[in-house]
Amino acid sequence: MANVANKVFFRPTGYSKPANIMEAVKLLAHYGKKGQFVAGGTDILVEKNPDIEVLIDITGLGLDYIKTTSNGIRIGAMTTFADIVTSAILANEPYNVLVQAAYQMGTPQIRNVATIGGNVCSAVPSADSVPALLVLDATFNIASPNGNRSIEVTDFFRDTRKTALNGSELLTEIQISVLPTRTGAIFLKKGRTATGDLALVNAAVRLTMTADNICQDVRIALGAVAATPLRIRKAEEMLRGEKPRDTLLKEVADCVSKEIKPINDMRSSAAYRRTLSQILVERALKKVVTKLSA
Amino acid sequence: MYIQVTLNVNSKRYNVNVAPYHTLCDVLRDQLGFTEVKKNCGSGECGGCTVIIDGKPVCSCIMLAVQANNKEITTVKGISSDRNLHLLQKKFIEFSAVQCGQCTPGMILAAKALLDNNPHPSEEEVRTAISGNICRCTGYEQIIEAIMSAATEQ
Repeated sequence: MANVANKVFFRPTGYSKPANIMEAVKLLAHYGKKGQFVAGGTDILVEKNPDIEVLIDITGLGLDYIKTTSNGIRIGAMTTFADIVTSAILANEPYNVLVQAAYQMGTPQIRNVATIGGNVCSAVPSADSVPALLVLDATFNIASPNGNRSIEVTDFFRDTRKTALNGSELLTEIQISVLPTRTGAIFLKKGRTATGDLALVNAAVRLTMTADNICQDVRIALGAVAATPLRIRKAEEMLRGEKPRDTLLKEVADCVSKEIKPINDMRSSAAYRRTLSQILVERALKKVVTKLSA
Repeated sequence: MYIQVTLNVNSKRYNVNVAPYHTLCDVLRDQLGFTEVKKNCGSGECGGCTVIIDGKPVCSCIMLAVQANNKEITTVKGISSDRNLHLLQKKFIEFSAVQCGQCTPGMILAAKALLDNNPHPSEEEVRTAISGNICRCTGYEQIIEAIMSAATEQ
């Protein structure tokens, strides 16, 4: 009888709180599809996957930190959104694009417990932290029983709710390398309500400009408009090497709205998402250009 | 399957046996009788189940009870003493910020957590602090006025 109930309701009967990373990944390897990592729990307790039999609590691994190193910033995967919002290390341009994203995710209550690792590994198209991480060229450090590896953010999202992680891996850290001076970034999100909603569309834009106002590096990333959050490289190419004239920015935004593959769902229509993408990208580009020209 | 946890609720310790899947909201309400913690949406979207843990407002309906082990938890009953209402509660009454009352415990705790960290918030900061608490009755204006008034009198 217990097995029947487990398949209908979320009723894990096992709970473990490993004291170190190796213990955690070995537990996940052992339990396979019946095991689930839990950090803040704000996705898991809504999703309520009935196949889960063992919860593996990863909040005791010391992975909540934000630190600077000689070549950039390292953010532990268990860092909460609230800590990202108040971080002095992330407060500066362009890294504060992640703060802008964190601030617009969820509600204050959710931000107090939700972790950036959980948001990333949920791999939902609308995950708010991801467009910011895409434009910052983040790298993810991954632990497993067989050793560690790194994955670029651009390789991490395979499909909706599917990441590059295999069944015994844990995202431990997000690394952001130092970006050039004269780099600015913006994150914009539109939901049905001013706060607390999933994004109908979210967008992040990063520009690195030369002294004579040429866009040297361009990153444009959107969420909720395809199976995964993604960079729109065709639009990036249009702007690279060019000066950010208003007419060109509009063309770049138009290109984005044509390249994406939004769907109709209960929150919005594909057509509205296309319109919204164009508006948000054009707005974001103009804001970054203004910031860098000041 | 059951795990013994210790919950410090409103400055009293309680030992409870919880299943891995029990939420803090269910344990507080069903095992410990703190029914002032409301379970409205049950999915962390409305803030009705808000409690304060270690100074921060969290939604208890999407928190595992096991993860609240040894934490300091404050419910709305914990902010008044011996029938003396907390200033926020007095202001909510004075400004008619309570109608059906279902959002009120969570709303007051969100406000208290704000004022404990930021005694003189701007209206913008108040609005952000309660942005995770949905009220179907008041339209929020009375709630914001009550909180701003409490802030001036702290």
